[in-house]
Amino acid sequence: MSRFLTPATLDEALNALSHPGAKVLAGGTDLMLALRQARLSGTELPELILDVTRLPELGRLELDGPAYYLGAGLTFRCLEEDPRVARRIPVLAQAAATVGSMQVRQTATIGGNVANASPAADGLSALVALDAVAEIASLGGMRHCPLGELITAPNKTTLAQGELILGYALDPPAETRGQAFLKVGRRQEVAVSRLNLAACLDRELSDPRVVLGSCFPTPRRLRDVEELIQGATPGPELWRAAGEKAAGHFTDVCGWRASATYKVPAIARITARALSRAWAQLEARS
Amino acid sequence: MPLEFTLNGQKVSLEDVPGEATLLEVLRQRLGMLGAKEGCGVGECGACTVLLDGKAVNGCLTAAWQAAGRQIATVEGLAQGDELHPMQRGFVETGAVQCGFCTPGMILTSLDLVEQEPVPGDQQIRRALAGNLCRCTGYHDVVRAVRRGAKYMRGEGEEQ
Repeated sequence: MSRFLTPATLDEALNALSHPGAKVLAGGTDLMLALRQARLSGTELPELILDVTRLPELGRLELDGPAYYLGAGLTFRCLEEDPRVARRIPVLAQAAATVGSMQVRQTATIGGNVANASPAADGLSALVALDAVAEIASLGGMRHCPLGELITAPNKTTLAQGELILGYALDPPAETRGQAFLKVGRRQEVAVSRLNLAACLDRELSDPRVVLGSCFPTPRRLRDVEELIQGATPGPELWRAAGEKAAGHFTDVCGWRASATYKVPAIARITARALSRAWAQLEARS
Repeated sequence: MPLEFTLNGQKVSLEDVPGEATLLEVLRQRLGMLGAKEGCGVGECGACTVLLDGKAVNGCLTAAWQAAGRQIATVEGLAQGDELHPMQRGFVETGAVQCGFCTPGMILTSLDLVEQEPVPGDQQIRRALAGNLCRCTGYHDVVRAVRRGAKYMRGEGEEQ
């Protein structure tokens, strides 16, 4: 039997979390599944479940100043609905809208999504495309870690016992970029990503970001695709070439596995389409 | 420490609720509220949907203790005596109920939708209910039911 604690302050949370048997509940849509599995299989339950969703520190949403900040306790529903998120970081608003069902989006948080580090996590691709840096607290103090380094393998992160993600600092010029998120799943709604793609483009194409999710153990920026786009002439031909490159990148890394027959053309199309949408959005803004 | 929350407007207090217990288990096994169902148990089907502070959530993915100090609504709390809630009437009148297993969840999700969007379009209804599966009858009548229920909730009359 687990104890359950809803700490009122961050200090209380970090103190409780420093005990080895403590597990964070940041919404619960993944944790409760894991607990169900543990109960069915008779494996050990965590000694303490720590519900961090009521900590005010985790609810911050700052998109108005020079530095953007997203609290780890924000739900996907909030990210999907907030007009500032839709305007400034549409790639995340679009990704959030594709997560699970309305019921799941009203509970699941962007903190849990990262800490759980599923290879199919929709929020991760968008956050990596926004160059998010996690702010992580523990009794020992704070550390900052880019998401690409925080997530090391499927469902593995560098988070140590006692550490809690408070939120994410985002690259401020995000708002001047065209952004798009696209996902392929087995149905339109409530689907686990088979593929997802997050794209961010600046007008000069000096710092394009292309993140392919669900294909690799961790969300991955496609550096060779980004290099192809960098400084090139925007347009359908470039997007198509970028799509081909992305598909090539996938087979280079993963080999020609059974799913590749479907995935390779799908990656090429989804990449081209996301880039085209991101660019169209940039044009519409000027 | 007892777990306390408000269930359909009434305060409840429960001793010895384990940390890992789901809200669905506590509602069904400790409080006798059988409207919310366990369909899949893994957050796919929505049969366990309840409202937590007015928001539709999956009871099977919510820890009971997440409800502490909050308002929980289940389908049992909707009717006033013999008078059905307008959304329930919408479902009954359009024949949107076959076996009924998914219906409480459908109704509660619809209430959350209509709270945010008093005049929901078909696409909005379909999207909101994407996490509520019906294995009997399909979704056409459910969409009509929600339209009609929303209309009754706005105080408007019969749909023509």
